[in-house]
Amino acid sequence: MKPKRPGYLFAMGTMLALVLILSACGGAPAEVPPEEMTGALSVLDWAGYDAEDFWIDFKNAYPNVTVNFEIGISDADIYAKMAAGNQADVFHPYTGWLQFYVDEGLVEEIDTSKLSNWDKVPDHFKQIGQIDGKQYFIPWDWGFTSILYRTDMVPEGVDSWAALMDPKYAGHISMWDDGPGAVTVSSYIHGYDETAITDEQLAAIKEEWIAQRGLNLFYWAGEPELIEAMTSGDVWVAYAWQGAYATLLANGVPVAYANPKEGRNSWVGVYGIRKGTDNMDLALKFLDAKLAEATGNNVVNLFYYGHSNQDVMNGITDETLKEAFSVDDPSILEKTNFTPNLTAEQRDAWTAMWAEVKAAP
Amino acid sequence: MTPSLPSPKFKEFGGGVPKGRRGRGLDRRAAFWFLYIPPLFWLSLFFLIPLFLMFLYSFRADMRGSIFASWQPALDQYIKLSSTASYWRLLGVSVLTAFFIAFVSVALSYPVAYFLAFHARERFGFYLVLLLVPFWTSYLLRVMAWKIMLGTEGVINSFLIYLDVIREPLTSLLYNRSAVIVTLIYVWIPFATLPILAALQRIDISLFEAAADLGARPLRQFLRITLPLSLPGVFASFFMVFIPTVGEYVTPLLVGGSSGMLYGNIIQDFFTKAANWPFGSAMSMVMLAGTLVFVFFATRIVNLKDLLE
Repeated sequence: MKPKRPGYLFAMGTMLALVLILSACGGAPAEVPPEEMTGALSVLDWAGYDAEDFWIDFKNAYPNVTVNFEIGISDADIYAKMAAGNQADVFHPYTGWLQFYVDEGLVEEIDTSKLSNWDKVPDHFKQIGQIDGKQYFIPWDWGFTSILYRTDMVPEGVDSWAALMDPKYAGHISMWDDGPGAVTVSSYIHGYDETAITDEQLAAIKEEWIAQRGLNLFYWAGEPELIEAMTSGDVWVAYAWQGAYATLLANGVPVAYANPKEGRNSWVGVYGIRKGTDNMDLALKFLDAKLAEATGNNVVNLFYYGHSNQDVMNGITDETLKEAFSVDDPSILEKTNFTPNLTAEQRDAWTAMWAEVKAAP
Repeated sequence: MTPSLPSPKFKEFGGGVPKGRRGRGLDRRAAFWFLYIPPLFWLSLFFLIPLFLMFLYSFRADMRGSIFASWQPALDQYIKLSSTASYWRLLGVSVLTAFFIAFVSVALSYPVAYFLAFHARERFGFYLVLLLVPFWTSYLLRVMAWKIMLGTEGVINSFLIYLDVIREPLTSLLYNRSAVIVTLIYVWIPFATLPILAALQRIDISLFEAAADLGARPLRQFLRITLPLSLPGVFASFFMVFIPTVGEYVTPLLVGGSSGMLYGNIIQDFFTKAANWPFGSAMSMVMLAGTLVFVFFATRIVNLKDLLE
């Protein structure tokens, strides 16, 4: 039996109409009377951060507000979703991936006078959320990136980012699966200005990572994957965030977190509010609660990342955590390189460079 | 041969709709709405429309602007893609890899299907369930199980060290393209068995009796009757494995390591790591076009319709 043409066209027409109606309805207003505080807030966040632990202050203060989470798997994924018209009220990008939200009008400026916890955030963190002199984002979680290594397999230690390209460790190296991350590492090693990478430098970086691929066991995408491979001893030397370091330390795996001569890298996670949201009031209340102490303590104790509320950081007593944050050695932080913001052109060029590394013969 | 589907040979006698019933148009129309609309709706909403959007996306110059915003069509992505040799090479590698995987999967599935169709007899149901058991386990879990098999502290290495065959664990088992191939062949064998099984079951058993009466030995019977009549199933299996394997990305991601990537991984990267949907869309369109052309020529050469008659 063949479908007849008119029926088929009718079906397609219905479908098209439906899609248009759905897309038009996307921004339907949700009236929220402030004094009652019911309603729903939608948050585009990373897997794991949807757990109540990481918004417990909001949950306790506004028990009748529904918070719906949508999960993004990377900065690129979150940006692409927002650019494509995602209706989340609040979203969670990281340093490096902030500029184009402002350039493309995807993020609303934040009225920090409405945030009761804002004073607890140190100025150097506040600045990270500022673009063109305006506070578009509030800083929330932060951590180091450095080289994590097995002390039993690498007894000589690691003092440079170049360890990721050292043939001595062939087959036991793991790099993060990320183009901008690779450009950062190469920039540290060769002293390039990360904010002004030339085409020639990018070409050299590509060749460098193509050569590195032969030494690299696998590119890790998520921390659990890296933690497993370092525990088993498959990986000795890796590009890693401090969460992996703290987890391995706590599990008794012999690891150390390098203080490379080029300096560690540090990143900061921020929250932004979608431009044009009808939920501004709730969104601000959510962000304010995100900065509160119980939520911050959970970030520190459960995920081993830093929190932008200084009271939270001052309250750390656990030795493993002190070690992970280098609390007792302020010189480490002084030498740390913060991730600069990418331009759209850099983003496209650097991610394409990385794809070519992976596609290379 | 225990369970067997009704032979399609009956078609020659009673197949097709009798002429007299053509007048009952209303019934036909009702049946059309009832049978075709739900799947058509589903396919359109979740497959055709997204595919069409992706097609449109591939003509965008960049990510700026929402999905339904208008833009100036541009060939930027295709121009960039055509000038990057490593992507084309990887597409070729992926096609060859998929071809190899499909060939081996089908070759290994054939004896399984043959056994089920002709020798399982009253235990047919039991063996069929055994074959289908892997489907009850998540695909991801089964691929992870291969990591446990092939890892440096994995089953194979531990066993070889226990036997004193090797001192140091073999590191070449996991995180390369061979691991991807081994894992995918394993994953596909149960899938590839089913179409071959269906084809074997359709063979009219009296053909074997006739062949035996005429003095054909088992090997000759197999080559002249079983194999030719099961070819539609073999080709169906082949394409069922080949087409999805060309774009496969999950398995390389888990067991392929840094050097075992396939074309599908690069497409996925452009969507999830690069925030470059236009370029990822263009890469997908090229793969889709390539696969369609391949299938078009393959069906021309094989002529599936003749085989299915």
